[in-house]
Amino acid sequence: MSSPRPEPPRRPKGHQPQYFDDPAVDQLHAALLASAIELSVAFDRIDTLEQLLIERAGVTRENIDHFAPDEAAKARRAARRADLAERLLKPFRDYRESLLEREAASRDDVNAPDQSSPGARP
Amino acid sequence: MSGFIQHDMLPNAAHDEQSRQDFVLALRSHLSGTLMPGAYRVYQERVEPAFKARHGRGPADQEEVRKVMTQDPYYQFWSAMQRRSQEMLWESVIDPTERQLEGLIAKSRKLSAKRLARGRRGSLRTNPDLVVPRYHTAADIHLQPGGYHTDFAADDVAAGAVYDKGINIYMAGALGSENDLMGNTLVAYIREKHPDFKPQRILDMGCAIGNSTLVWGRAFPDAELHGIDVAAPVLRYAHARAQAMGVPVHFSQQNAESTDFETGGFDLVLSHIVLHETSRSALVNVLRECRRLLRPGGLMLHLEIPRGRTVIEKFMHNWESYNNNETFCRFMTDIDLKAEAIKAGFPGSQVRLDAFIPGMSVAQMNYTEHFFWNILAAER
Repeated sequence: MSSPRPEPPRRPKGHQPQYFDDPAVDQLHAALLASAIELSVAFDRIDTLEQLLIERAGVTRENIDHFAPDEAAKARRAARRADLAERLLKPFRDYRESLLEREAASRDDVNAPDQSSPGARP
Repeated sequence: MSGFIQHDMLPNAAHDEQSRQDFVLALRSHLSGTLMPGAYRVYQERVEPAFKARHGRGPADQEEVRKVMTQDPYYQFWSAMQRRSQEMLWESVIDPTERQLEGLIAKSRKLSAKRLARGRRGSLRTNPDLVVPRYHTAADIHLQPGGYHTDFAADDVAAGAVYDKGINIYMAGALGSENDLMGNTLVAYIREKHPDFKPQRILDMGCAIGNSTLVWGRAFPDAELHGIDVAAPVLRYAHARAQAMGVPVHFSQQNAESTDFETGGFDLVLSHIVLHETSRSALVNVLRECRRLLRPGGLMLHLEIPRGRTVIEKFMHNWESYNNNETFCRFMTDIDLKAEAIKAGFPGSQVRLDAFIPGMSVAQMNYTEHFFWNILAAER
């Protein structure tokens, strides 16, 4: 976005539940799904490209197997990998923010979370 | 998704954005169609028998179910996946919306001035001074980041665009090509129960993006149609969307607990799965306001989500209370809606609570295999 609009939140306001005894397991589940969705994107994109290449450019499977990326392609791939890493690690960042929020709230009685409210773990 | 209408206000999804949305839909269909029913089996075959062995009886209520089910590894796994799929759902829709937002805002301004068939035109009245109630701001409902009510740009419509595509994926397409299933359900209900009813003035409360509102404009094209909501960005989107789809609606930013409409000015006041987003005190306030707004003989209709019949169904429906920021849902479980309507002043003989079973596949039901709508109906 080129506008000076502030970045809207990507994390919902409210309690973040914990499902497993060890919060690391929660984070790993979330990361697993994040990597699965990106893998699915990659499958779709590869399928699109191969189809277009075969239909319109006469490319063969052999050409693909022996392809060497140029600098522009390498940069494109680096950016994509960075994006994947960011998406993969989002659950960890969100968990950290949630921990810090709880920490801040516990220092301030006014904002202390109501333990009986929905979302509080039993 | 196939069958979902690409109207003028809906952001386009680029290749990878579409792939992400498709994956979330596939994942959620699998979670609902395969993994969710497994939670019922785990309860019946493992959790409930263990509880009975220990206590000599089954769980008495959903809270007792909750204590044992949340300790079960299968339930934990399903829950974690369900929660994450909901977060991913919004992420997959926010990306294309943000990318095209400037264009969407420009389009909404243009559509606002468009004249519709028969020289009619909808309108939009926002109110920056309206206090958005706490049941709306305390947590982002359904985990939509920023909620429905937050503006992040002048004339922002992002929350509406995100919601439109988001609920389509949330219900795995069950809401129909225009997200109009709930409106169609209530229209079918009114045609069956009140075949001669011809409302001249209709109010849709908590209308959000107007996806149900438009159904009423088409069912009763001569009626004057109003839609209210507390959230400005979804109303701006609703107005532009209605204009794009050619249905004149007068949207205004108001709290359904207390509106500025005159007393007795509506023939029909209704809502579509809104009551459970309010609060214990707000619920009866809304019903009282409905009564005030209706002319004598006017009709109130509220479509609601079932809250379950057995303790395990009640517990599963309340997954959303604890995991999807549906804070009020768990209080709705045992609320007698009929009694609330009577408390709000409707005569007991004129209040009905009906169940309506829609044709949906299990892959489209998130928390139960036995879905039905509750319809609260009352005549003034």
